[in-house]
Amino acid sequence: MGRQLSEAIVDGILGGSVYALMAVGLTLIFGVLDIINIAQGILVVLGGYLSYVLSVHLHLDLFVGLLVTVPAMFIVGVAIQWAFIRPLRGRERTSMSLLATYAVAIIIEGILYIIFGSNYVNLSASYTTTGPKIFGFYLNYIYIYGFLMALVLVVGIYYTLYRTQFGRTIRATMQDHTAARIVGINVNRVQALTFGIGVAVTAAGGMVFGATGGGFNPNTGYDLISRLLAIVILGGLGSIAGAMVAAIFMITLEGVVTVLWSPSWSVVVFYGALVVVLAFRPQGLLGRKAARAQ
Amino acid sequence: MTSRSAEPVTTGAPALEIQDVVAGYGGGDVLHGVTMQVYEGGITCVVGPNGAGKSTLLGTISGLLNPRLGRVSLRGERLSGKSPRQVLDMGVVLVPQNHSLFREMTVRENIVLGGYILRQRGLADRRLDSVLEMFPQVTEWLGKKAGSLSGGQQRLVEFARCLMLDPSLVILDEPSMGLSPKVLKSVFDAVRMMNKQGKTILLVEQNARAGLRLSTHGVVLENGRVRLAGSGSEVLHHPEIGALYLGGAVTAPPGSGTPGPDAPAAVPAAGAAAPDAGVAGSESAANGTAPR
Repeated sequence: MGRQLSEAIVDGILGGSVYALMAVGLTLIFGVLDIINIAQGILVVLGGYLSYVLSVHLHLDLFVGLLVTVPAMFIVGVAIQWAFIRPLRGRERTSMSLLATYAVAIIIEGILYIIFGSNYVNLSASYTTTGPKIFGFYLNYIYIYGFLMALVLVVGIYYTLYRTQFGRTIRATMQDHTAARIVGINVNRVQALTFGIGVAVTAAGGMVFGATGGGFNPNTGYDLISRLLAIVILGGLGSIAGAMVAAIFMITLEGVVTVLWSPSWSVVVFYGALVVVLAFRPQGLLGRKAARAQ
Repeated sequence: MTSRSAEPVTTGAPALEIQDVVAGYGGGDVLHGVTMQVYEGGITCVVGPNGAGKSTLLGTISGLLNPRLGRVSLRGERLSGKSPRQVLDMGVVLVPQNHSLFREMTVRENIVLGGYILRQRGLADRRLDSVLEMFPQVTEWLGKKAGSLSGGQQRLVEFARCLMLDPSLVILDEPSMGLSPKVLKSVFDAVRMMNKQGKTILLVEQNARAGLRLSTHGVVLENGRVRLAGSGSEVLHHPEIGALYLGGAVTAPPGSGTPGPDAPAAVPAAGAAAPDAGVAGSESAANGTAPR
């Protein structure tokens, strides 16, 4: 039991970091565009399939393949923003975005079914099945590599947001659209690039997810988006630090409940924790109280 | 270029010309053919009741809104139809009515963002220095979050931010909004100072009396049309306007501390100087010694 518990905690923290990466993308998109990207889950799966194709057919290493899949997903993100999000205007924009991105999710899911079918796919490499023994259990290298990569990417996003002029324009747009336009920021362009970045990180997240979990198929996107929404809402919509904290907390909690109680309760506790936190902090763990000025 | 019949104290050529502008947000026109001028080197104040179209007018000038008909031009160059960014490039900046600082960012970050469109790093740094020289009190707040400042302090930071582009025309939408009379004075002093540095000012004020006293020119907007235009004191002392918007006619005798008589003195000085950075700098040095 002790060994299982420590394994659940280590897995939770390392695996949670990958969810943190996907959730940061989702919350960044919400912060800048005011829309909830329901397609984020299926985009993670799409990123996973891209890695799968490169690894199986071109024999590219999973991490090297990211050099292709991350830019590819960035372009996919910008294209989705241009085609489906940009035309949405007016007061109902946020609720319309739920429908629009849900439609995008269904379209991508359909295409993936046609190409790959419904069989579960696993990403494998030498480091997905081997690893050092710590706390009495074997930890596959992919968990460590994935954690380090997520760390580098999240720190990179943080650095970009807080230390660069481009990051300043993103934060400015998050806070006040009109004021951003007044100082000459092209809000449309910032929105397109932010959506692209938010989707690009799903490529990295999808690869590690596919290499660590029990595999995925086109239907996995729905389970993923439910968890990601719970995480970003728990962390506070639009809060990047909140998304990271909430991701690691939730995934670890889920793992611990599985060990201590039963796997069937882990999902209940996962969403139960969300309800309890929101009852006391409706704005989420690190969310801002006031909405952004338009 | 036909000038209006009520030609105010002539100070210089119009910097900004607004001709028969019809504009509005989605649900119909707010401006029904506005024609007015903003004179080079002066302070022009637009007053009028709520819903007269004052903010719509400013939005149209600053590129946030395209006029449906008519034309806005800056020194002969067309301004209407340009994006907010292009309007900034032409040296026209807007300080909007609602506080427009990025509240979660520091004062320094806010001011630096004012120079967002400046591509040269060195230029932005030099501008920051000269802006802080102009607003020394802002220096003390640089590390604070903008949202933690008081309303009056935020206004001064907004002014400092807009000067990062060394604009020739500064548009202020109700700078007095929500400020106490004491703070109001310091904000209006700052407006006067910017004007003396060579900035042409276009101002919209709900506090019509204080706004017109500050200004060389006044324009009364009503129902999306110009009702009256003249010098600041002409509009201020116009009997009908006084009764309508200023809560009774203004009876202050001319020359009793109102800036009416000051205005002609200040205006030619600013008008004579070409509105560029070098001259504005030397002029401010001259201002330090000349009066008082």
